[in-house]
Amino acid sequence: MTRPITKSMDIPVADGEGERYSLRMGPQHPATHGVLRVDLELDGETIVECTPQVGYLHRGFEKLAENKTYAQALILTDRLDYIAAMANNVGYCVAVERLLDISVPLRAKYIRTIVAEMSRICSHLLWLATHALDIGAMTVFLYCFREREILLDLFEELCGARLTFSYPRIGGVRQDVTARFIDGLQRFLDIFPSKIEEYETLIDTNRIWLKRTVGIGKVSGEEALALGLTGACLRGSGVDYDVRKHQPYDAYALVDFEVPLGSDGDIYARYRCRMEELHQSARIIQQCIDQLPPGPIAGPDAPDLVMPNKVPARIEAGTNVYGTGLIKLVRDRNLYISGDVYVATEVPKGELGFYFISDGNNRPYRMHIRSPSFIHIGALAAIARGELIADLIANIGSLDVVLGESDR
Amino acid sequence: MQIQYKPRRSWLGTIFQTEILQGMGLTLRRLFSRPITRQYPDERPQIRPGFRGQHALVRDPATGDCKCIGCMRCAMVCPSRCIRIRSHKDKEPGSRRVIDCYRIEALRCVYCGYCEEVCPVNAIVLTEVYEYSRYERPSLYFTREQLLANWDRFVAQMDKPVKEYVNPFWRPRGQAERNLTGPKRLPVPPEWSGEQQVVGRKWRQHLPPEQS
Repeated sequence: MTRPITKSMDIPVADGEGERYSLRMGPQHPATHGVLRVDLELDGETIVECTPQVGYLHRGFEKLAENKTYAQALILTDRLDYIAAMANNVGYCVAVERLLDISVPLRAKYIRTIVAEMSRICSHLLWLATHALDIGAMTVFLYCFREREILLDLFEELCGARLTFSYPRIGGVRQDVTARFIDGLQRFLDIFPSKIEEYETLIDTNRIWLKRTVGIGKVSGEEALALGLTGACLRGSGVDYDVRKHQPYDAYALVDFEVPLGSDGDIYARYRCRMEELHQSARIIQQCIDQLPPGPIAGPDAPDLVMPNKVPARIEAGTNVYGTGLIKLVRDRNLYISGDVYVATEVPKGELGFYFISDGNNRPYRMHIRSPSFIHIGALAAIARGELIADLIANIGSLDVVLGESDR
Repeated sequence: MQIQYKPRRSWLGTIFQTEILQGMGLTLRRLFSRPITRQYPDERPQIRPGFRGQHALVRDPATGDCKCIGCMRCAMVCPSRCIRIRSHKDKEPGSRRVIDCYRIEALRCVYCGYCEEVCPVNAIVLTEVYEYSRYERPSLYFTREQLLANWDRFVAQMDKPVKEYVNPFWRPRGQAERNLTGPKRLPVPPEWSGEQQVVGRKWRQHLPPEQS
């Protein structure tokens, strides 16, 4: 399958023989899920070398956050993984709460768990839709969007936005849930298992799907750990690691759920893991709805936007932070003067970590984001090497990368 | 939990390709169900209360002007710094601030709704209007007059009296009354104020019968 490449096409030829040649896939390629460029070195159709190039969507969030207060920087996390913005918000809030030692009321923890799992379902549905579309199953795409739409409507009911929510707040959540929201969510949960069955009917045993996924993109457990994979990519290889289970935050310790594990580590195993996670997420939401306790939605020591007194007003609004008010606040609230904290949460893509360095100011001195997509793209080189170029699309899809999160 | 994911297939399925037929059958059934696509320009989506759309300054029926008191909280809390306020104070003692200029760059706004939440007098609101794209940038730098006109347009298309309109961000649901300033303590449904909170099934069983 070699053919001569003309100079006018401006594709650099690696080898004079024309046996090996380089190809740049993306950033406009529709199957790269955004703006990912992959520099490929090919031997016929086999990938010899694969170098992912990121940075097309770089917006400098880590630097921007240094000039924003903790509450203001929350809106940046919406735009990390824009498919599951709520899970990012929750991760950010959990991290800041641990940094500033803020307690969260139980009701807020349950609501956060509900919305984080809802966004996990949203993300997995979109993943399944686009992954199946890449491989060639168009129908699943439409069916998944049908259910995702219900969830987006519920999010709109809850906080007035469909994608960039900014709903959780440091020390709680912004608004209480309504009876209409809970009713709608219950109706969704009632129909959802039958919808998962529909997707599985379409592709689970479909022989084209099996040909494209089984035994392709294999990663062993040790290899996955060495590559830093997290989330369903790691669990598909049989490594039992889930932040929700092993370092529970919010209400995850209070609900009962299983961590699905695969064993083969191929694309099909990852697919099955995510499908099983849909069931588990629905189970978690159902338990949270049943157990939702009464009480306040934001803690008494939360840095409110609705300001009860003058001191939080100063810390929120970002006026002169070295004023006298802050010294007292620092003492009262155990704000770390020069401390750092790394907090990991399980977002749909994997482990999202926030690393904060605080110098006692009302804004982070440094905020580092350990985003799963970035690390998964790095692993793409090792996974795709030696495979066919057609399987690269399936590999990118199964790693579930979002370029907004990778490039930050 | 180890998941079962080895696709099982009988020899009958292998020969007759039943799994393909099953999938085809599903899509065939869907052919006769009701379409779920919303034909947008003809069919309007239902906007939920609290939707964060076009900006507006609330027109005070008493004075005919905006309610803003020039406290600068919205300008300071804004993450994208898109609000610009200039105000001055009259010479007489005790007089309120006079707003000279109130500008919002809608193109920089991220629609987080923080400004609505911190405003102590509910002067600013993100309305439920979502169709206001323009071909040129200057028409999206809203001045005070434009923001008041936005409110008038929003009120005109509202199907209930203006007095009953309460934005969920003016008084966040579940927020305790003592945390709010005077004008923010609006009359809201009991569910919003936290008196009749939605609680789970397991909690309802444990509450006394008169509360549940």
